[in-house]
Amino acid sequence: MDVLILQKDSIKDFLSSLSTDYLLWAPIEKDGDTLFQPLLDCNNNSPDLAHQAIIIKHSIFPQTEPLYSYDQNDQIQAPDAQDIKQNILFGVRPCDARSFSLLDPVFKGDVPDPYYLARRNKALLIGMACTKPFANCFCTSVGGNPCGQEGLDLLCTDLGDRYLVAVLSEKGKEIINKTSSLFIAAPAEEIKQGAELAQNAERSMKRRIDLAGVTDTLGRIFENPVWKKMALKCIGCGICTYTCPTCYCFDMQDEPMAKKRGRRVRVWDSCMYKEYTLHASGHNPRPTRVERLKNRIYHKFKFNVDTFGTFGCVGCGRCITLCPVNEDIIENLLAVKGAA
Amino acid sequence: MSVQKLKDEAARALGRKDVKYLIGYKKGSYGFRVSPAFIEPKEDIEQLIISPLCNMSLVKYVMMEETLPGLTEQAMKPSKIAIVARGCDSRAINLLIEEKGVPRDKLYIIGVSCKGVIDQRKIEALFPQVTEPAEVTEENGNYIISFQGESHTVPKEELLAELCKVCQYPTPLIYDKLIGDKLPARPANYDDIAAFEALPVEERLAYWQQQFTKCVRCYACRNVCPLCYSTICSLDSLSPQWLRRSVDTSENFMFQIIRTFHLAGRCIGCGECERVCPMNLPLMKLNRKLEKDAKELFGYESGKDPKAKSLLTTFHTEDPQGFIL
Repeated sequence: MDVLILQKDSIKDFLSSLSTDYLLWAPIEKDGDTLFQPLLDCNNNSPDLAHQAIIIKHSIFPQTEPLYSYDQNDQIQAPDAQDIKQNILFGVRPCDARSFSLLDPVFKGDVPDPYYLARRNKALLIGMACTKPFANCFCTSVGGNPCGQEGLDLLCTDLGDRYLVAVLSEKGKEIINKTSSLFIAAPAEEIKQGAELAQNAERSMKRRIDLAGVTDTLGRIFENPVWKKMALKCIGCGICTYTCPTCYCFDMQDEPMAKKRGRRVRVWDSCMYKEYTLHASGHNPRPTRVERLKNRIYHKFKFNVDTFGTFGCVGCGRCITLCPVNEDIIENLLAVKGAA
Repeated sequence: MSVQKLKDEAARALGRKDVKYLIGYKKGSYGFRVSPAFIEPKEDIEQLIISPLCNMSLVKYVMMEETLPGLTEQAMKPSKIAIVARGCDSRAINLLIEEKGVPRDKLYIIGVSCKGVIDQRKIEALFPQVTEPAEVTEENGNYIISFQGESHTVPKEELLAELCKVCQYPTPLIYDKLIGDKLPARPANYDDIAAFEALPVEERLAYWQQQFTKCVRCYACRNVCPLCYSTICSLDSLSPQWLRRSVDTSENFMFQIIRTFHLAGRCIGCGECERVCPMNLPLMKLNRKLEKDAKELFGYESGKDPKAKSLLTTFHTEDPQGFIL
């Protein structure tokens, strides 16, 4: 594995050179928020690497995706995967990089999803190590690491005035080769410094939970009164699921368009919504917030484990930080453990 | 605000035969976030807190109550919910009573005179990455903020929620017990809205277009609103479908117009919609415009009196009719 040094002064040149061949996504500050968006003008806009973007998955899995359009004569037009440009997601946190690895088996499934995979296969991920994890980060409790490399092509570590850049894949090597003049091989001293930062980051994580056995516990406590207590404060909005990098539920909708055409679109859906499980008969098997909150936790910590062998959570902490009523998944899981 | 007094009143409320549980605040799980607390008789009231960090409205939970299974049977009994209510919350309660959303005798209201609450975004920007639950008290125009063994003094003005700066009724307008001294009502101040109204229409349109592009339609603004309590919401309706599920600027406009207009002459200005928005949309700019119109055109203020008639159900011949004539 190559480890290189990129001076911070050169980051603009690096990104500019990438933006000619790739659609470059990055965390960008807007009105005080950090949004993950295409970085179109590298010269006048610099990525906000100090914060975590509110949502990241839309770069590969858009909230609204037209699947095809049709007219009254069944003339169907589907978007061409060829039109999707090569993507680079820059400044991806290690937890978010891992989240795409968790989404992949879902969309690869028995029937591969061409829309997701077209973007995913053309995406290259450049990570930014979390040397200073955020308040509600708990990635180490779900198998991640603040400076982890899973799912990344390059990983940058902030060393003050320069970045330590670990080259993690062939794709990553290719883009380095295109701008090789900006990089020098990292001296052993700085590689050591990077490793120390990673160790400190891991140690500095304050929010932790031991999840050993939680999947088995969930198998036993479906009817436990703990769920009702837990769900009392939930207001049933979609913040936790929409900002979650591993939530992938969607709905299909047919919508009329101009000139007697219609289109079928895929839009994000949330298991926290009443409508999510509403049957045509009017019956709703998850009638209240209790069943809905319960489902969210079961999906992430039991169903995902049963189906794919991993937790459906990367510990990014967004659902905790952004929940307006302090519904805290770590507390929820502690309650689950306590109910066993 | 005396926490001990609150606990005493809470104990008294929960000791009543007709109160089934109490909704108050407790310490949150991290940093500056507090949590709603649902306390049943004989449960621990020591967890209750009241502090400038208590920036959420609890009124919504009264309206969500019957949706929980198991409580339906209980809800049939003539029993009350005890609730901790600040000035703005009391106005929401007034309006709910006025609209017959909730009967007055279903609530036991512990009113709290409120000197304003802290804006979560501001305090988290000042002290990022605080994991342990913090405590805040107010002293002589400053907030004393303690966490992780440190104590910081910050001028109140710096952290006070913007809406609290224009709050008219810091003392609850309806209550069974009041905690804290009565604070005088303050005159309305819509300078911010007037300044925005003065901008050219193109500029305002561009502004909202930019804002609504960010909306992800998580419906947190609707779900948290104490006055959005329709059991069938037009936004959820599938047949007919008034709002497409596609998320784009145009549909988001439609969504926010429906949401805002449904609050015309009703919004009591608690600012919950704006507080919870993960995308930081300035939703109170819309709500306060309607508030200002209701006041200027009809001399109406929502939630002042539970016996008042709501604005949209009344007509006076002297009402302004400039939009027709």
